[in-house]
Amino acid sequence: MSTIAIPKTAKERSGFDPALLVPVVGAGVLIYLAVLPLFMLFLGSFQAEVAPREFVYTLKNYQNAYASEHTYSTFVNSLIFATGSSLLTFFLGTMLAWLTERTNTPLSTLFVPIAVVPLILPGVLESIAWIFLLSPKFGYVNVWLMNIFGLSSPPFNVFSLPGMIWVHSVGQVPLAFLMMTAAFKSMDPSLEESAMMSGANTWQTFKRVTLRLLAPTAGSVLLILFVRTLESFETPALIGIPARIYVYTSEIFLAFNEYPPDYGRGGALAVGLLILSAIGVWLYTRATKEGKKFQTVTGKAFRPRQFDLGPWKWVGFAFLMVYFLFVVLLPFLVLFWASFLPFFAKPSWDALSKLSLDNYRYLGTFRPFWQAMQNSILLATLTATVAMVLTSLVAWIVYKSKLRGAWVLDFLAFVPITIPGIVMGMSLILLYVAFPIPIYGTIWVLLIAYVTRFIPYGMRASSGSILQIHSELEEAAAASGASWWETFKRVTLPLLRPGFVAGWIYICIVSFREFSTSVLLATGESRVLSILLFTMFEQGQVTIVAAIGILMIVTLLAVVGIFYKLTGRVGIQT
Amino acid sequence: MNRSLMVGVLLLLGWFTVAGQGQAQSLDELHKLALKEGGTLNFYATLAQINAEIILPIFEKRFPGIKVNHVDATSDKLVARAVSEARGGKTLGDVFQVPLENIIQLQEQGLILDVALPESSAYPDGLKGAFWTASDLQYFVAAWNTGLVKKEEEPKSFDDFLHARWKGRLIAEPRDLEMLLAFAKYRFKSDEKAIDYWRKIAAHNVEFHKGHSQLAELLVAGQAAACLTCYSHHYPLRMKKGAPVNMMLSEGVASINGTAVFKNAPHPNTALLFARWVASETGQKVMAQGGRNPAHPKVDPIDKTKTDKTYFITVADLKEFPKYEKIWKEIFKLR
Repeated sequence: MSTIAIPKTAKERSGFDPALLVPVVGAGVLIYLAVLPLFMLFLGSFQAEVAPREFVYTLKNYQNAYASEHTYSTFVNSLIFATGSSLLTFFLGTMLAWLTERTNTPLSTLFVPIAVVPLILPGVLESIAWIFLLSPKFGYVNVWLMNIFGLSSPPFNVFSLPGMIWVHSVGQVPLAFLMMTAAFKSMDPSLEESAMMSGANTWQTFKRVTLRLLAPTAGSVLLILFVRTLESFETPALIGIPARIYVYTSEIFLAFNEYPPDYGRGGALAVGLLILSAIGVWLYTRATKEGKKFQTVTGKAFRPRQFDLGPWKWVGFAFLMVYFLFVVLLPFLVLFWASFLPFFAKPSWDALSKLSLDNYRYLGTFRPFWQAMQNSILLATLTATVAMVLTSLVAWIVYKSKLRGAWVLDFLAFVPITIPGIVMGMSLILLYVAFPIPIYGTIWVLLIAYVTRFIPYGMRASSGSILQIHSELEEAAAASGASWWETFKRVTLPLLRPGFVAGWIYICIVSFREFSTSVLLATGESRVLSILLFTMFEQGQVTIVAAIGILMIVTLLAVVGIFYKLTGRVGIQT
Repeated sequence: MNRSLMVGVLLLLGWFTVAGQGQAQSLDELHKLALKEGGTLNFYATLAQINAEIILPIFEKRFPGIKVNHVDATSDKLVARAVSEARGGKTLGDVFQVPLENIIQLQEQGLILDVALPESSAYPDGLKGAFWTASDLQYFVAAWNTGLVKKEEEPKSFDDFLHARWKGRLIAEPRDLEMLLAFAKYRFKSDEKAIDYWRKIAAHNVEFHKGHSQLAELLVAGQAAACLTCYSHHYPLRMKKGAPVNMMLSEGVASINGTAVFKNAPHPNTALLFARWVASETGQKVMAQGGRNPAHPKVDPIDKTKTDKTYFITVADLKEFPKYEKIWKEIFKLR
């Protein structure tokens, strides 16, 4: 047998393609960020400490976590909290989206940006503001209602399950609003028109056509809200723990923060929460895939028709006004007012005479505040940059490289969405406390945590714009002799810019607000603003907390201002 | 023989000198050693930000080049943090300043250094131990909102709270079993009488809130008419700002906050420097200036925060915490 020798290229000779290095490194980074901490958590959930720093492997932690007297009440509380909150959020968000997008409610377009505003209010502040408003004895709303109607007892108590549901929901409404607005926008109006032409009235059309078309999206929005509530820790920490209403996240936090800390039990609870939220996310992705079958989005150019509400449009208008005044504006106002008080006081002429700039003056020289501000800004900008660069690369590999197995990267970049913040914090403590490089207790461990948590958001922004870039442009660059990196840097990256900027700013905002991971990781010098708010609130400095909150909002508004300027639109990808 | 005796005497003298130097090493000498450790002090302390913000910069100014990294949280969180770190094989804290019972918890975990500070000789026996020195005292007192309590209703002693007019108007901290313990051992000198007193109080439907600072703030805001287990040092500043509160200083319970040094602290000399400074008369004056009740016998608090009749929780009492905690939780049906 004779063979003809074909000259081999350098690549074939060495059996190594340098371009392969990028996906391998990418996968390595993602595994390191998303999978390793979970592995540590899983391992820790089977360890029990028999003597100080002596461990054995056991299943007992799971028994302690799931067969204790509190198991049932925690489960029921979590379920009620997540169900109630996702339903309420969904209802409010959908109403807002429908009224502003699909009806002739007066001035409804004005409400679109307003509905998104609460997004910049960090969850910790949202909870604090509602404590100011709805505390049974001194909450302003209660005091007013009791005075006006001569009630003998306060009508609202924020320190209750309904209170928790309300506070968490109003913080989440912008999210539901944006998702439902997108759904309403992309709905094919011809189906509704056919119904109208066949003699159905507005209500019948709404019920039989609109609602049914929306059902798949609604299902997935509800699911994601449910998962997010289950994972949230702001309201459970600030309202749930003082009210002694415990949910999974607060039980995990307490297992870590009470003496003696019970890692095994905390780990076992965290693994359970992780599985629950993974199931939720899996169902969500299935539901969104199913949704496509219903063809609510078509390529046709159309503008959904508006429902004429007739006189009911004034009811719609009233709903929007009430929402704007009481849900959006009131929390801001109460924080603003409290930030000028020397101590928290009921609204009165006497309190009015005590208003001053003292809290702001105090903050001017209050070192922990400036350090936290510096940390928060540094972390927000660094996280956004690292996450966007990383996900741009990963998205490029997934959608453009035509590598087999690239979906693995896509999957890995999606994993963090299932990890609740508090679980992430816990896993990273376990991982980095014993890590050879001493980053535990510094802001670098927070950077790792934030980047990991927000990679999925970055992927959304990056993959959206990557898909729009035609391969011809890159091929042309390659044909002109540009290396892979040069093509990526000079062709792909500039084309990615709009998506990159949008993703960057969104990640910047969520990092600046971040609380549930930081609460376990940020201390001393690495303290961030949300944690300073939390500890100072615990230390009873509520009016200074209000002032910090106002300054935090102003800083965030500045970021959103840049966002407007750079992109000219409000658009948040979820 | 004479020569060997001489050598022995000289050696002994030398030893005394060295040992003496070790003990009487001045803070400035310690400062030099501390600077060689990098100039950072990891300070695990419950000290509230508003106090820390006054106290720590004075320390930093006195010892230039040393920066305090104040890791602040509630005491149980700090203990949990130190235990987590030890679990990972690390000691990151240098100084631990928390209520004494929490220092003892960490000591039981083998994380606290046995050290007698030269400065602690000024303290009476109850205010120092083999591994701690008192940093400040906290007085548990009754306080009330002056907008909600009429002048003639103002309590003169804890007995006044048994009156039916306090029903549904009281708040307290859920972890303050010290009240029960001190009443049992020092006020009534009888477990039965103390339990009976607190059962009657429990019948008033006391509302519980975690954290003494928050309790004070809630009282100011008018969440309740009176607080049964508040810290006296939380009030002078609020009263000066015109907050509608006042407190009862006729009787109260006192407990100890202590300073300890971590075993294997990353900055051992810096830790020692801070521990010695804060125990010294100067350091205690700064603690007072920062709004705390100093523990040093010669230093008084700036504002009147000490109670006339005080029931001191002693170190020996700490061993009985579990017993009284159980009863306390039973009385108030706490988790």
